[in-house]
Formats: sequence, structure tokens, C-alpha cells
Amino acid sequence: MNAGETCRSCRLRWEESRVSDYGVSHGACRVDVFAFLQLLARLEARRCLKDIEPRLFLRPVYLIQWRDLYLCVSGKTELLYHLLCRCVLPEAAGGLEVDALFVDTDYSLDMLRLVSILDSRLSSAGLEEAALRSSLSRLLVVHCSSSSQLLLTLHYLETTLNSRPSLALLLIDSISAFYWLDRCEGGASISRQEEKLSKCAELLGRLLRDYKFTIFATCHTIRRSSSGLAASRSSTLEADRPYLCRPWQRLVTHRVLCSRQEAENHTAGGSREEKRQVFGVHCSSSSSRTKASRISPFCVTDAGVQFI
Amino acid sequence: MVGLQEGMCPGLDGGLLRSLLAADVKTVEDLVSSDLEEVAQKCSVSYKALYAIRRVLLAQHTAFPVSGADLYDELLSSTAIISTGNPSLDKLLDSGLYTGEVTELSGGPGSGKSQVCFGVAVHVSHQLKQRVIYIDTTGGLTASRLLEMLQSETSDRDEQMEALQRIHVFRLFDAYSLRDRLSTLRSGGLLQASGGGSVKAVIVDSVSAVISPLLGGKQNEGMSLMIQAALALKTMAKDFGVAVLVTNHVTRGGRGEVQPGLGASWSHIPRSRILLERTDRAPSGCSSTLRSATLIKSSRQPCLIKEELDLQWWSRSERRSSGKRKRDEADS
Repeated sequence: MNAGETCRSCRLRWEESRVSDYGVSHGACRVDVFAFLQLLARLEARRCLKDIEPRLFLRPVYLIQWRDLYLCVSGKTELLYHLLCRCVLPEAAGGLEVDALFVDTDYSLDMLRLVSILDSRLSSAGLEEAALRSSLSRLLVVHCSSSSQLLLTLHYLETTLNSRPSLALLLIDSISAFYWLDRCEGGASISRQEEKLSKCAELLGRLLRDYKFTIFATCHTIRRSSSGLAASRSSTLEADRPYLCRPWQRLVTHRVLCSRQEAENHTAGGSREEKRQVFGVHCSSSSSRTKASRISPFCVTDAGVQFI
Repeated sequence: MVGLQEGMCPGLDGGLLRSLLAADVKTVEDLVSSDLEEVAQKCSVSYKALYAIRRVLLAQHTAFPVSGADLYDELLSSTAIISTGNPSLDKLLDSGLYTGEVTELSGGPGSGKSQVCFGVAVHVSHQLKQRVIYIDTTGGLTASRLLEMLQSETSDRDEQMEALQRIHVFRLFDAYSLRDRLSTLRSGGLLQASGGGSVKAVIVDSVSAVISPLLGGKQNEGMSLMIQAALALKTMAKDFGVAVLVTNHVTRGGRGEVQPGLGASWSHIPRSRILLERTDRAPSGCSSTLRSATLIKSSRQPCLIKEELDLQWWSRSERRSSGKRKRDEADS
């Protein structure tokens, strides 16, 4: 993508500064996955567009669903924190300085870990304590304890979106937290079981159309893959069978799968070889014809996710 | 689902409630998601009145967003790290059990999960002088074993009795009573159960013993009970600032490797997971108290690190000598 060209998908013009920011790696923020590139580009492009026309809320319309395979340890949470940090950090540290709303449905937000990632990125950029406070103040956290409360909170989200125009990202972790509770409450009828999540999905669809922000939602695996750490890609995709309701599946535009790969040997600056846990992320989009079939590996360090 | 009731908010009187019910708007969610103009026409009330009621109900029942900075400050002031009493276990857990989190200990039969739970309970009640809630679902807890462990810590009878009094035991043997007990504890019963003192640890030994018989097949109720119990544990941990320790059994995975039980849906519940196994190092014919503990999930440490655990640590009488450094509660 050259400066001055128009991006085919979002029809926004690339500014030269954005292209140069984009090509250079910001330390831990180098992203290799194609759909991620597109997404982050859109976030950046939206920001520069806001500078040109502040009253025009043209934000990308993406709903990204994360799944993890093969058990809980798949680096999914780390990737989420990586993206969250990228949004709230100041520009000097490689962030986008936008507000983010984190909807926590199962008390899985580890604030201490998030702050340690923010801290290490800020200190490597040479910024002080005050920058940490301002980054944290850009993050809003809501906790929901049932799917009814989630529905009501999403209704209230409209007010929040109006009052905070810099809110560009909604993170839901996780949308599948109440799946079993709803299934049991719904009894034998599947439509009653899926009723609440369908209403949430419809509401989110309407909000996305009106306000055009980005949503990331994580979704847990409920079935263990019987082949364990599969080497073949086809079984990776087969194991990701969607189980949430249809309105939600229709809303999702990008699917990201995180999985754990074999730990590789890594010589850590001395004679001692260490095994480093490597995770892989695979992104597929419902709009693109060709599926991005690469699995981008990353590992987790103290400063968060580092793509290899 | 919260049903609409008279007097829930100003403006919601009996007449309006009846007309809303007639228009098939029975719950708060229905009212909030419905098209207010349509409902106003059907019930022949003013749109403004309905809008005002909707706003009040939304404000009453929604969760409010908290700024990240405030949340972080609150967490810094309320999180504590509870040492388990065993230095190898503490090293694996990054200095101990964190309050506000659920830690899981899984292992096969005889791997020492209950011994670790006893040890933690005794350590918290005697060394840290805090109360412990112990939920026993296997019937494996005996006061005499706790006393034996305490006797190696101190020979003062009064201190032993005081420490025993700080451990509150609940015996339950089915999933419904577990869920009910956890809900009661969560909604304020924690203080009552502990007799007004501060509870710092809740130990459930074991969760899988009551939940796993209900899993499997086409029934959803088992999974739903498991998630309800899990949410109750997590809410309790967060709201009351307690460290929760649960135990789980193990099963074999697809490639024959040992993995914790209760399935993929449970695997997201605990923040840290440890797998206990017998070590092969012990010479056959003599029972060893050494176990190998592997960290399989953690948000703070790299995974799959192993430590060797001595189950007898909590009963060793040499600990009372002044040479040993005491690990107490530390703020994070």
C-alpha cells in the first residue's frame, strides 16, 4: 500500500505518515498476520480521519471473535492484552491513544498483568508514571454477572458511546461465559436457550451500524480436540466449530484462532538452552475470498506478546 | 431475568404494570429492548413516561463502568499474597496464593491434593492467624489430622485450639448443596460463617467429586451447576478478597498424557493450575512424601515449570527453629 493510494476495503486514503509508522516495528508491536494488519490499519486510518473531520465518526465495522483451541493455555489472553495496550498507550510508546471498554463476564481480567505489560512498554519508550495513569484512565471496565445484565449493560453502552467519542474499542471477555447457564435456563427449547445471546447480538449489530467502532469478543472452547496439538492445519480449522447462536455467527466478520504449538528450543544468550512456549495465531475473515492460511507464531515475554 | 414489579421505580404503578403485562412486556429486559413507541401505543401511556421508567430501570440494573486507574488502585490496596507454607509450592505460584483468584490443584488418587489443602489451611490459621473456610466434599478431612499438623507447629495447647477454631468446615456431598452453600457464602454469609472474623482462604476439596458425576451425556444441568459454582467462587474471591483453592481429579488426554478433569469449560475458571504427580525417583517399597508439581496455567510465570514438593513439609517439627525464615502475608 503506497501513500496516496486508496485502500479498497475501507475506501480511506492512506497518509504518508501512517504508512511509515506501519512499516516500522514498534518493538513488541510488530504484527504479521494479514487481517490484523488490515484491522490495525483501519484503526490508525480512522484516527487520522478524525483529525481531518472530527464530527464524522467513521470507524471500522469489525466484530472479531477469538477462539482458543486445545485447552486454556493458548496465549489468547496475552494477545488480548497486547491489543488492549496498543489501543490505550500514548503515541510515543507506540499506541493509538483511544478509549477502550472491557466487558468482563467471568472475572478474567488480570489487572496486575495488564499494568505490568503497560509499564514495561512505557519504560522501554522512556515515559514516566503519569503516562501509566493516563493510559489506564482510557480503559473502562464493566463487570457483568449474568447474560441479562450483559444485555442491559449493552443497552446502556449507547449512552457511554455518546458521552465518550474517543471510545473506539469494545472488548468482551468472554461472550461464551453464560453459554451453559443459558442453555440450562432455556429448558428444552433451543430458541429460549439462545434468546439472550441473540438479543445481545442484534443489539451489538445495531450499535455497530450506528456508531461504527470495533468489537473483539473471546469465545472459549467447550470441546477438547481429540488429537491434542495437531500439526495439520485442516484439523485446526475443523476443531473450531462454532457453537454460539446464529445471530452472533452472522455478526462475526473475522475469526482468530489461537493455539499452542510445540515448545521450541531457544538459546538464551548463553550456553543454556531453554524451551520457550510458542503460540500461533490464525486469522480468517468471512469477507475475504482467500483464507489467510498462515499461522503466525508468537511467544509471551514479560513485556507481553512478541511475534516471532 | 428480573420481572417487572409494582413500585420498582417511580411511575410504575399497578395500572401501568397491568397494561405492560397485557402487552407481553414482563421483565426489565423486555421493557429495555422493546420499541417504546409501540408499547406506548399499545398500553396507551405517554412515551415520555415510559422513557423515564426505562432510564431509571436501566440505571438500577446495569453494571457501571469503572475506570482502569481506579480499578488498579483498588486492586493494589486489596490484593494480598497468602503463602501456602511450603516454599517450593510458593515458588511455583509466584510467592503464594493471590487473593481475588481461583487456584486449582489437580492430581490423581494419592497424589497429595488433600494433604496440600490441609497444610494450607493449617498454615493460614496458625501462622497468618486468619480464618479459613474449608468445604469438604470427599469426607477426607479429619480434625485429628489437622491437630497432628498443628502439634508440629506449636506445643501450646491453647494456640492449637485457637488455630483449629479458625478453620470452619462445611461437609457437602452433592452438587446442589455445593452451589447453594457457595451462593449463601457469596451473598454475605462469609462473615456469618466465620463468626465475624476475616476470612482469607476458601478451600474446596474437591470440586470434581461432586460435579463430575453430573457431567456427560446430553444433559445440560451438570455443566450449568459447574458454571454456577465457578461463578460463585470467583465472585466470592473478588468481592471478599479471599484466595480460593480448589482440587480436581485427572483424566487422560488424546495422546495419553495426564490432564486435569472437568473438561474444557472448567479449564478457563482457575487463574493458575498445578498438576501433582508422584515422582519416579523414590525407591520402590518405601512410601515417599515427595511429589512433582507442574504449573500448567499461570498468568505470571512461564508454563510447565516443575518443582519438587515435600508433602511432609507442613508436619516437620524443625520448622519451629529460629533459622527458618517465616513467610508472611505480603501486599502485592
